[in-house]
Amino acid sequence: MDLAAAVFSTLILLVGFWLLIARQIRAAVDGYAIQSILLGCLALALFAATRDPDLLALGILTIAIKGLAIPAVIERQAKTTYGKRELQYHVGFPTALLIGAGLTLIGFVAAARLPYHPALLAEPVLGVAIAVTLLGFFTAMARRDAVLQLAGLLVAENGVILVGLVVASGLGLLIEFAVFLDVLVGVAVMGFLIARMHETVSSTDTSELSRLRG
Amino acid sequence: MTDATLLVAVLAVPLLAALLSLVLRPRWLYAVAAIFEAATLGIALTLITLAVQGPALDCFGHWLYLDGLSGVVLLVVAVVSSLASIYSIGYLRHELREGAVRADELRKYFVVLHLFFFTMIAVTVSGNLGMLWTAISATTLASAPLVDFYGSHPSLEAAWKFIVLTVTGSLVALFGFLLLYQSGVGALGNSYDFSIPVLARAAGHLSPVLAGAAFLLVLVGFGTKAGLAPMHTWLPDAHSQAPSPVCAMLSGAELNCALLGIFRVYTLAAPAAGAAPLRSGLLVFGLLSMAVGVIFLISQRDFKRLLAYSSVEQIGLISVGVGIGTPLALLGALFLIVAHGLTKCLMFFATGNLLLRFRTTAISEVRGVVQAMPWTATLLVGGALAIAGAPPFGVFIAEFSIIAGAVAGHLWVLAALIAGLLLVGFIAMVAPFHTMTFSRRADADAVVMGELNPLILAPALALLAAILVIGVWIPGPLDQLLHSGASVMGR
Repeated sequence: MDLAAAVFSTLILLVGFWLLIARQIRAAVDGYAIQSILLGCLALALFAATRDPDLLALGILTIAIKGLAIPAVIERQAKTTYGKRELQYHVGFPTALLIGAGLTLIGFVAAARLPYHPALLAEPVLGVAIAVTLLGFFTAMARRDAVLQLAGLLVAENGVILVGLVVASGLGLLIEFAVFLDVLVGVAVMGFLIARMHETVSSTDTSELSRLRG
Repeated sequence: MTDATLLVAVLAVPLLAALLSLVLRPRWLYAVAAIFEAATLGIALTLITLAVQGPALDCFGHWLYLDGLSGVVLLVVAVVSSLASIYSIGYLRHELREGAVRADELRKYFVVLHLFFFTMIAVTVSGNLGMLWTAISATTLASAPLVDFYGSHPSLEAAWKFIVLTVTGSLVALFGFLLLYQSGVGALGNSYDFSIPVLARAAGHLSPVLAGAAFLLVLVGFGTKAGLAPMHTWLPDAHSQAPSPVCAMLSGAELNCALLGIFRVYTLAAPAAGAAPLRSGLLVFGLLSMAVGVIFLISQRDFKRLLAYSSVEQIGLISVGVGIGTPLALLGALFLIVAHGLTKCLMFFATGNLLLRFRTTAISEVRGVVQAMPWTATLLVGGALAIAGAPPFGVFIAEFSIIAGAVAGHLWVLAALIAGLLLVGFIAMVAPFHTMTFSRRADADAVVMGELNPLILAPALALLAAILVIGVWIPGPLDQLLHSGASVMGR
C-alpha cells in the first residue's frame, strides 16, 4: 500500500512539473489527463487496501470526469488553438523549474508542520499534494495562454483533491461529487470563454486582454 | 407548511423558473421571471421569520440549515435578486427595442439569471459545509456568462479575469475547508457529518492550529471572491461590464455570499483558535480594502467603476466591523450587509437608467440628468448620498454603529481611521453624481428628454423608500434578525 501511494504520488508530482514547462497546448491538456488518471489510480489502490466503497467511486469518478470528460470538453471548445504552441511566455524553463522546486520544498515543509491525524495516507503524500496545488497556481500565473492557465488551475484542483484524500478521507462521496460537478461546469464555462476569445482576438493569448484599467 | 417544505421550495422555485425559461415560448420569459422570483422572495421572507422566531431551521440531516447569520444574507440576496429580475424586464425590453440585444439572447439571459439566483440561495441555506463551498463557487460559474453577456472585447476580458481569479480563490478556500474538516477529526472521529450544527457543537474541541489555518485560507480564498484588497482586481472590471441588473446582483448580493462563507468559518474556528487572531486578519484585509476602495474612488472617470470601488470599500468596512468584534460593531456590520446591498442595488438601477438614455459610462459625458430624467435624478442623488453614508439612510446608521463599536472597545485610533476614510469616500462619491445630475450641458437640446419605462423606475423607487425607512426606524423583525445574527457571530 505504502509503495503504491509513493509511486503514484511521485508520478503526480512529476506530471505537475511537466505542465510547468510544456509549451504545446495539447501536451499540457494530455498531461492533466494523465495526472487525473494517476490520481484516480491512487484512490483505487486505496480501495484495494481498505475496501471502502467511497474510494472505489472516487477513483472511477476521477478517471471518468477528470481523466476523460474534462480533457474532451477542453479539446472541443479550444479546437482552433489546440495544436498550437505558446509562443511567448512570462517565465523561462530554468526559472520555472527553479521556482517549482522551491514551491515543492514549501509544500513538504508545510505538510510536516500541520498537526493532523493520519488516516489513509502518510505525511509525504500531503507534501506532494500541497506542492502540486502550488505548482498549479504558479502555472496558471506564469502562462499567457488561456488554455494553459486553465490547465494550471485544474492541476491545482488535483492537488487540493489529493489534500482531501489525506486529511478529509471521511468527508463523504456526495460532497466530492458536488465538487467534481462544480469543476466540470467551471471547465465548460471557461471553455466557452476561451472559444469567445478565439473569435474576438483570434488567439488565446490573454495579454490581448488588458484594456480595462483604473 | 413545515420548515423542510419551505427550504426545498425556496431552492426549487428559481430552479423551476430556469427550466421553464429554457422550454417555454420567449413571450413567457418576462412573466416567468416576475412571478417565480416574487414567489421566491415571499418564501424567503417566511423562512427568515421562522428562523428568527425559533431556533435555527435544520432539516434533512443538517443538509439544509438557516440561522440568523445566513438569514441576514438570505434577506439581501432575495430582495436584491427579485427586484433585479423585475428591473431586468424593463431593461432588456428597452435593449431589445434599441437592437443592443438579440431576441435569442434574451432566453439565455433569463435562464442564467435564475440559475445565478438559485446558487446564491443555495449558499444561504446550505447546512453542510462541503455544500456551502460548492454553492459559493457555483455563484461564480453562474454569473461569469452574465458578465460577458454583451459579448464585447472588454466584457470578455472582465469575465475571464473574474473567473480565473475567483476560481483560484475558491480552490484556496477549499483547502481551508478540508483543513477545517481535519481540525474536527480529533474530537469527532475520522468520518463525521461536516455540517454547521455538528461542528458548532464541537467548536471548542477543534485543533487550534488547523482551525486557525483553515480560517486564514478561507479568508484569503473567499476574500478574493468578496472583493477584499489586494485580491479585488477583477471586481471593478466585472462589476462594470455586466448589464446593470446583473451588476446590482453581483455587488448587492453575490459579494455577501462570499462574506457568509468567511464569517461562517470564523464562527466555527474562533472558539478553538481564539477570536483575537482571527479578528486581526479581518481587520487587516478590511482596512486595506477600505483604503484601496477610497483611493480609486478619487479621480474615477467611469460611474459604474466608481460604484464597484465603493463596493470594495463597503465590503472592507463590513469585515472591519466583524474584526472589531464588540456587540455594537457586529450589529453594525450585519446591518451594513443589508443596507449596502439594497443601496448598491439602487445605485446600479439608477445608473442603468442613465446608461440606457446616455449610452455611456463616462462621468464627463453625462450632464443635466435633473432636466432630462427627473425621477432618475431623484434616485441618483438619494442613492449617492445614501451609499456615501449621509443620514438619514441605512448605511449611515450601520457605519455609525461600527465606529461607535470601535469606540466602545477603546479602539480610538481605529475609529478615527475608519471615520477619516469614510469622509474622503463621501466626497469622492457624492461629487461626481452631483455634477452629472445638476450641471447643464452645453448641447442641452441634444439630449432626448424623459424617463424610459416604469419597470426600471418602480424597483429603484421601492429600494429608495426601503433604505430611507431602515435609516429612521428599524422594523421589529429586522431588528430581531440582526440580533440573532450577531449572537451567532458572537458565540
